[in-house]
Amino acid sequence: MNFISIHKSILALAILGVVSCKPNIDVTGPKKGSADFNRYIAIGNSLTAGYADGGLYLDGQKNSYPEMIAAQIKMVGGGSFATPFFPAAQSNGSGYLKLTGLTDGVPTIVPETSNLAIRGQVDGSNLYTRFAGDIENFGVPGIKLIHANVVGYGRLNSYFERLLTDVTVNTRTYLDFATAKPWTFFSLWLGNNDILGYASAGAAADAPTPKATFSSAYQAVVTKLVSTGAKGVVATIPDVTNTAYFRTVTLKSLLTAVNATQAGALIKEIYIQPGSGPVRSATAEDLFTLPLSAANLIGSAPNGIPYGLHPANPVESRFVLDKNEVTTVNDYIQSYNTTIKIIAEANNLAIMDAYSLLNEYASGKSANGIPISAAFIQGNLFSLDGIHLSQLGYAITANGFIEAINAKYGSTIPIVDVSKYHGVKLP
Amino acid sequence: MKIKLLCILLIIPALGFSQSFQVNLQGQKQTAMAGAGTGLALDEAAVFFNPGAVSFLRQNGVQAGAHGILLKTAFREKGSQLTQYNKNNVPTPVAVYAVFGAPNKRLRFGIGVYTPFGGAMHWDEDWTGKYSVTALDLHAIYIQPTLSLKLTDNIGLGAGLVYALGKVDLKRALPYTNNGIQTTAQLKGNAKDFGWNAGIFIKTVSGVSVGVTHRSQVTARLEDGDANFFNVAASVAPSLPKKFSATLPLPATSTIGFGFYPSEKTTIAFDVNWVWWHTYKDLTFHYDNGTSTPSARNYHDAATFRLGVQNITSSFLTLRAGLGYALSPVKEGYVTPEVPDADRLLLSAGVGLNPSERFSIDFSFLYENIKSRTEQNIETGLNGTFKTVAYIPGVALSYKF
Repeated sequence: MNFISIHKSILALAILGVVSCKPNIDVTGPKKGSADFNRYIAIGNSLTAGYADGGLYLDGQKNSYPEMIAAQIKMVGGGSFATPFFPAAQSNGSGYLKLTGLTDGVPTIVPETSNLAIRGQVDGSNLYTRFAGDIENFGVPGIKLIHANVVGYGRLNSYFERLLTDVTVNTRTYLDFATAKPWTFFSLWLGNNDILGYASAGAAADAPTPKATFSSAYQAVVTKLVSTGAKGVVATIPDVTNTAYFRTVTLKSLLTAVNATQAGALIKEIYIQPGSGPVRSATAEDLFTLPLSAANLIGSAPNGIPYGLHPANPVESRFVLDKNEVTTVNDYIQSYNTTIKIIAEANNLAIMDAYSLLNEYASGKSANGIPISAAFIQGNLFSLDGIHLSQLGYAITANGFIEAINAKYGSTIPIVDVSKYHGVKLP
Repeated sequence: MKIKLLCILLIIPALGFSQSFQVNLQGQKQTAMAGAGTGLALDEAAVFFNPGAVSFLRQNGVQAGAHGILLKTAFREKGSQLTQYNKNNVPTPVAVYAVFGAPNKRLRFGIGVYTPFGGAMHWDEDWTGKYSVTALDLHAIYIQPTLSLKLTDNIGLGAGLVYALGKVDLKRALPYTNNGIQTTAQLKGNAKDFGWNAGIFIKTVSGVSVGVTHRSQVTARLEDGDANFFNVAASVAPSLPKKFSATLPLPATSTIGFGFYPSEKTTIAFDVNWVWWHTYKDLTFHYDNGTSTPSARNYHDAATFRLGVQNITSSFLTLRAGLGYALSPVKEGYVTPEVPDADRLLLSAGVGLNPSERFSIDFSFLYENIKSRTEQNIETGLNGTFKTVAYIPGVALSYKF
């Protein structure tokens, strides 16, 4: 063996060494399966828009679950995906809630009011900076399922209005607008607001969409979305009563706070005005809303009768989802979800069971070592409004969609790394 | 050696352990024979492998050796297409032994300094398992003065006192940010504890030699360790601790080993280790603010099988090789990224050179292939596949007197 061949052998062995020194985990590359992800459109409400912390703002828009899904499906043939972002100079969009203090677990929450994208007001509602480009993320905060085919809905919803022009605002329905250009794949997560407005107002405002109306409206939307042969994924309605919005202010926390004061040391009852029937003392099955905490009313007595502590001045119905109302809300959600599943199965669509997924995490579960629960701020799942998800919550949701799509269409879209996302930003 | 060195320079590996965080690299000759040697009176490393065999060593001597552990772990999260690797880090556990006393007398003395437990696992700061661990440096150095008594010409007893110096440095990310920068924690502490190592060595009439040893558990008690936090949001800072304590069992190991001598020049060693891992039930950090973070481990006892052969080819050259299999003590659902353990295959080889009668130099090379393991951790929910390989070259110098 001459000198050169020795060196060649050493080189060969070294290359072999480099290859063999690194362990391999076999991966089958990402596949699209039987679906066509060329143009993915996302149909939905605030959750789809990336709404968080009580507002729609650029950082939330960038971390919406459709943006996350779109980034992942680019690996299996997904095309460009546009969200109607607020301009960078108006990145705070509608404004949102910020946590500026957290002392002994008591949060100080203030609204962000700089760099807003407000271009004017109409009838006391803000109008937002318009967006004119191509759109794939059609998430519109506030929209109900039953609004999808309402002509001129843009006049009722500024988040939809900002996507339209002065002409189309009067002529377009939401669904026509979203389906104006050809699509090959869709996600559909509508229906939350058909119960949310009622529930979040303590059943004292708004009304749930009647079950039959929901069913026919859902059928109409799905029929339109599959009409071109597109495949898609639909999501069920989460359990709104199992959110930080309804699980932070509790009978126990109210009594603890009252008992800590000198005057209230002996108080044992909190009185509520239920949706129907006479004033009564609250039980653990009555859910108080998060705004009751911010309202800071308990025990205040401008008329001499302490709020919530005396039957003559009970906690108002708008702050309480009483036991019967909880039952009503859950009954509607179950019915809506049954409808969603039946229609999805009839149309051979993938189903992301958001109800089960979010309940699983809301009850307490670790994701890659991050503790997650429905707890306000500390639970990492919900944003500061207590209902909309944190970016981490949206990442978990995105993976729920991806797994549902993969299971249905035989695709292997890679999941999102949830470790890269955060819960509420701490001051 | 050029090839080995190239491999060392070119690859990018990290941690070191041989069964979970146990390290079995206490002698170059034994490493070259897959870690077998309890049933032999081979060299000064008998202080570790079998104190009972020390009195059977023909000469006194001193040896010092070190291994470089090149270890590469890959992780792929379930459902992801991305394989993540641990970072560059080469721990070099050292083993030093000396044996004194008159070789023709019954009582001999020995001292050993070695590293039976350790690990170095470093991941990227932003990797998927960052809330479990980003870096772990752990080692326990044992200092063991030893007495060995040749009871009869065929039976030797030996025992040593172990003084263990433990050190741990654990880093991980916390699920908070401060102005967008990840909050991280570091737990750093030391422990000083005692244990023992005892063995019996028997040369049977059939010519087979047998060794039985037990190395006791050392319970490393970390007191007053530093809990450091970085990039902490102001609202979180007041609730964080400054100090921690923890207890980490460094488990007992019982071994039976056999020596076979098919020819004057050939020795075969076979060892079975039983490591009493079941005492590692949890790793709980107790903090000075009254909180604690319990983390279940629930290890079970596990065996390792080691077969080695040595051939004295000439007065100058000795060749060695070995084969072993280690069963993992880690149950399903408890694999963690600081010690992504699984059953492992050991392949080893080595050469011994004797340039003079008194002086010798031994090289060893150990390859460990840790089986791929796919599961979800019960506590963290981290779900994916770990695969690890290790390349462990080593060298020792010894001098007989």
